[in-house]
Amino acid sequence: MNNTTRFLALALVALGLAACKKDAPPAPAPAPAPSAPAPAPAPAGVSVSSATLGSAVGADKKVSAPKETFAKGDTIYVAVDTAGSGTANLKARWTFTAKDGKTVPVKEDTQTIQATGPSTTEFHISKPDGWPLGDYQVEVMQDDKVVQTKKFSVK
Amino acid sequence: MSSDPPDFSNVKSGGSSKSPVSNDSPDFSNVQSGGSSTATKVYVVKSGDSLSKIAKAEYGDGNAWNQIFEANKDILKDPNKIYPGQKLKIPPK
Repeated sequence: MNNTTRFLALALVALGLAACKKDAPPAPAPAPAPSAPAPAPAPAGVSVSSATLGSAVGADKKVSAPKETFAKGDTIYVAVDTAGSGTANLKARWTFTAKDGKTVPVKEDTQTIQATGPSTTEFHISKPDGWPLGDYQVEVMQDDKVVQTKKFSVK
Repeated sequence: MSSDPPDFSNVKSGGSSKSPVSNDSPDFSNVQSGGSSTATKVYVVKSGDSLSKIAKAEYGDGNAWNQIFEANKDILKDPNKIYPGQKLKIPPK
């Protein structure tokens, strides 16, 4: 084999290698990360999930002793649990039901909250000279719509 | 025969009434109320308010006014200057 032939052979080999390199399959893509479960969609705004009556609340504002029958001298609490985040206007409207069935306003209170997650808001009422015996109810309202109604009595 | 009108100047009068509604409508005018939350509350300043007055109403402690001031430094430069209509954040106690 003369030099020219050797050169041509080497050139062909080089070309072949270049072609092979060009056509080599791309490195395999990294395996996709195992897909994490999609996060639960955040609730839109604040929503009231429950309301509980009792005569005391703890530091977490939740009712520590739920009850629906109270004594004359009790302070009456309603703890309102909310979910979601955002601003909400919560109102507690307390009423007494007279013997003739008429509703007598007792008290109405509003709290505006800026929640960043689950939260509890309590409202309470007391009467220094004692509650008249009878039936009562509290309506919990969010943005002026009744979302929970709780009946209770004083005996 | 005298034509003078009769004298009613010494007539005494009085009366009383008992409304039937009174038994069914107790007086709730002295009911006391309040509330608190684990969420940040929003308080709208009223005429005559001060941070210590708001702290007393919200926390039961007027000395806790600084907690409210600290939470509202973005809108309050001076704790003695708050204005009706301002919305203050009341952090949970």
